[in-house]
Amino acid sequence: MAATTKTTGIGAALRRKEDLRLITGRGEFTDDFREAGQLYIYFLRSPHAHARIIKIDATEALALPGVKSVLTGKELLADGIKPLPHHVWALHPADIAMPNVDGSETFMAPHHAIAVDKARHVGEIVAMVVATSVALAKDAAELIHVEYDILPSVTNTWDTVKQDAAVVWDENGSNVCGDVETGSREDTNAAFAKAAHVARIETWVQRVTGVPMEPRAALAVFDEGTGRVTLTAGSGGSVRLKYDLAHMLGMKSEDVRIIMKDVGGNFGTRGMIYAEFCLVGWAARRLKTPVKWTAERSESFQSDYQARDLAVTAELALDKDGKFLAMRGSNIGNAGAHTSNFSPLQKGVEIMTSIYNIPTACFRARPVVSNTLPTRPYRSAGRPEVMFVMERLIDIAAREFGFDRVELRRKNLLHKEDLPFKNPFGMIYDNGDYHAVMEQVLELGDWTGFEARRAEAKARGKLRGIGVANYVDTATGVPRERAEITVRPDGQVDVIIGTISQGQGHETSFAQLATEFLHVPEDKVNIITGDTDVVKVGGGTHSGRGMRLASIVIWKASNEIIAKGKRIAALMAKADPAQVTFEKGHFHAAGQSLSLFDVARAASERNDLPDDLRAPLYAMSDETVNEAAFPYGAHVCEVEIDPALGTVEIARYSTVDDVGRAVNPMIIHGQTHGGIAQGVGQALMEEIVYDRQSGQLMTGSFMDYTMPRADNFPFFDAGFAEIPCTTHPLGIRPAGEGGTTPALGVTMNAVVDALRDFGVTHMDMPATPEKVWRAIHRKA
Amino acid sequence: MPQVTMQVNGRSVSGEVEARTLLVQFLREHLELTGTHVGCDTTQCGCCTVHVDGVGIKSCTMLALACEGANITTIEGLAKGDVLHPMQSAFSEHHGLQCGFCTPGMIMSAIDMVNRKGHALDETTVRKELEGNICRCTGYHNIVKAVQAGAAAMKGA
Repeated sequence: MAATTKTTGIGAALRRKEDLRLITGRGEFTDDFREAGQLYIYFLRSPHAHARIIKIDATEALALPGVKSVLTGKELLADGIKPLPHHVWALHPADIAMPNVDGSETFMAPHHAIAVDKARHVGEIVAMVVATSVALAKDAAELIHVEYDILPSVTNTWDTVKQDAAVVWDENGSNVCGDVETGSREDTNAAFAKAAHVARIETWVQRVTGVPMEPRAALAVFDEGTGRVTLTAGSGGSVRLKYDLAHMLGMKSEDVRIIMKDVGGNFGTRGMIYAEFCLVGWAARRLKTPVKWTAERSESFQSDYQARDLAVTAELALDKDGKFLAMRGSNIGNAGAHTSNFSPLQKGVEIMTSIYNIPTACFRARPVVSNTLPTRPYRSAGRPEVMFVMERLIDIAAREFGFDRVELRRKNLLHKEDLPFKNPFGMIYDNGDYHAVMEQVLELGDWTGFEARRAEAKARGKLRGIGVANYVDTATGVPRERAEITVRPDGQVDVIIGTISQGQGHETSFAQLATEFLHVPEDKVNIITGDTDVVKVGGGTHSGRGMRLASIVIWKASNEIIAKGKRIAALMAKADPAQVTFEKGHFHAAGQSLSLFDVARAASERNDLPDDLRAPLYAMSDETVNEAAFPYGAHVCEVEIDPALGTVEIARYSTVDDVGRAVNPMIIHGQTHGGIAQGVGQALMEEIVYDRQSGQLMTGSFMDYTMPRADNFPFFDAGFAEIPCTTHPLGIRPAGEGGTTPALGVTMNAVVDALRDFGVTHMDMPATPEKVWRAIHRKA
Repeated sequence: MPQVTMQVNGRSVSGEVEARTLLVQFLREHLELTGTHVGCDTTQCGCCTVHVDGVGIKSCTMLALACEGANITTIEGLAKGDVLHPMQSAFSEHHGLQCGFCTPGMIMSAIDMVNRKGHALDETTVRKELEGNICRCTGYHNIVKAVQAGAAAMKGA
């Protein structure tokens, strides 16, 4: 664990620069913006899971004074608004390709911003009302008469592939959009044939939703003079949203501007353009008036991209000594009503064997559609699901075949000498010390002292259980990032970076990078994001790419600043540029000491500089990073169950994540804490429920979707390791998703362990009090 | 439309509102005090918590007209000039916020908690008392630490 006393630069647990405005109520979230004369939008959404739209009559609605427009799929097509530009598979060169076994293309269907023929999930937009107030727009929506022909629906993931399932897209003939096999079937089956033991699991990693606390909102302004649309909205990144919005509206990208100030959480949920963002922009352009939309929470539940939802059958083959021989199985990823994003399926299946030395494996992977909200990556997309499967399989094997859970992991975990290691799917893990990290967390969680705690709990009538889980996380994402650094003569350093924070604290941690490299105090470094007229290139936050890529481009741009500065300092001091040094923020040349800002001033004032050194003192780094990173770690969770109530209390929770090199330990711990809560939330309480018959969304508010609250957790024992990453020039590994990735598996391992005397060998998530109570009392 | 008058952050304000206008709408839309946030529509998340006559209230669940003559404090009214309220400082010092959207409600609830429960708040009390405030970023760990530290600091303030 890093015990750091640094107060500045990389490694300092610096308090955050962004806090002051946020704790005083001066944050700038999307709904805080307003424009004179703005109109308000309300979306009429389908109450049906699957229905043909026969007729929409808005006559009465339009007759209400103050109602300016009602737009439907008909006008959408007439105006040439294009479908959402989804890329279903991750295209990073380090992620595996997902070709269909039969050579056919992955099925994709147009996702229109308003349903044009059929509504395919509850909440799909059917009409947009624009009026002078939200209340009036809502009143008007109630006067729109939509005639539906209700169709049979399918929502449950296992049901989607059945022969008699309702078909969401007739054009495809079935709900299966792809059928991929990865790994080696022949080798795997051969290994299974000689296995002494085979552990099996069939599980559904349930659907959840991301719930960033700021409901989505958008404000669009159309400038008739310039023909530009400016959209203020929170997203995973501003640059991609600009291009996607321009594409959908049929505009040149330079005619679209995105403004993004404070964004109230993301977790992947905000990672892609939404229908509403396009529609708000379209309405502003069409009506030539500013328009605004703000989601209510119940609307978020039926319009935010949802997440997880993976149905898995898997087997693990072991020899008589517990050595893992092979793994095989099938994953079905429920993409929802639209072919929007299959990458969680891909990013899961490619690391199905985790960081264990499993020589061969074979998995089938099928993305399917259903009459549910579209899904997309959410906090460590795809990986928590498969780590859950692997870690549960190990515990199942240990229990069934009489191995110690920890010894079984020790026996099969890859050793540092094995790295880099190519897993059976072709992913090449970089470096690390998986054993050391697991041992570290076992110690932190006092694994060896557990049985005494179990006995003590038993004496109090409680059931105590413990679990351990390892994980690995493929960090890829959009490979390109850019930083532009300007040293201003007035003593400030501006850093324009293409990746915006939604709570991760970039204004502080990115400033620490500039401080480290340029020796300028953090409070003189301005991190500039969130306006596409300023920020031209950048990939946004996802797949552990924020710090990983920002650090590279800020470092390279800083190096160029120093190189330029040395040449300017040499001219100023009439010295040989090769003799100029840069130390503690000063250039030392021929006995003179010139600050970075002296040099920046000279660059702007002197007229004898070569062209490339003229003001401002500026450098840009634009990098495409095609290597993946593989953050990993291990968690230990301890639960206590009240057998009378079935309630599960997290008694202890310990983590060790290898972050390579910690830029701001305080922020990293914060990321871990929040990640744990999201993982434990999925394990114990969260679930998006659809009625299996009608397809109705049953969890439409915080009244029926259980959110983790303060009293669901103890203080966490969060540690980290710093083994420099060999595929990153500064050794940094991503740290944002480690809290979540193993949390599902480790929590459920602990729950199942607590219930071991009741014949429980597995439980699907979430382990609600009802489910736990039934498991106990069925046997008792 | 009916008229309503109240004290907000020590200032007398009045406005014409619809009968259905919620206190939070009055604060955000009429007074442009946008520090008070709306995170749900079922009185669950606590992002909109303010103090009405010194008591923590979810302002999404109170009509503006019901606040006639009341004394309201919002997140904008806590600091005295550049001097932060001890609870505000504690949230920053203990990294009790990430995206910051739930933070104003958390801080207002925390102060209300101290007003009701005193300055020596144990972990269990803080966690139970925060039942009505949802945060998605922090896992609550540092919020609990911040509330405990802020509560203690308020004693000296």
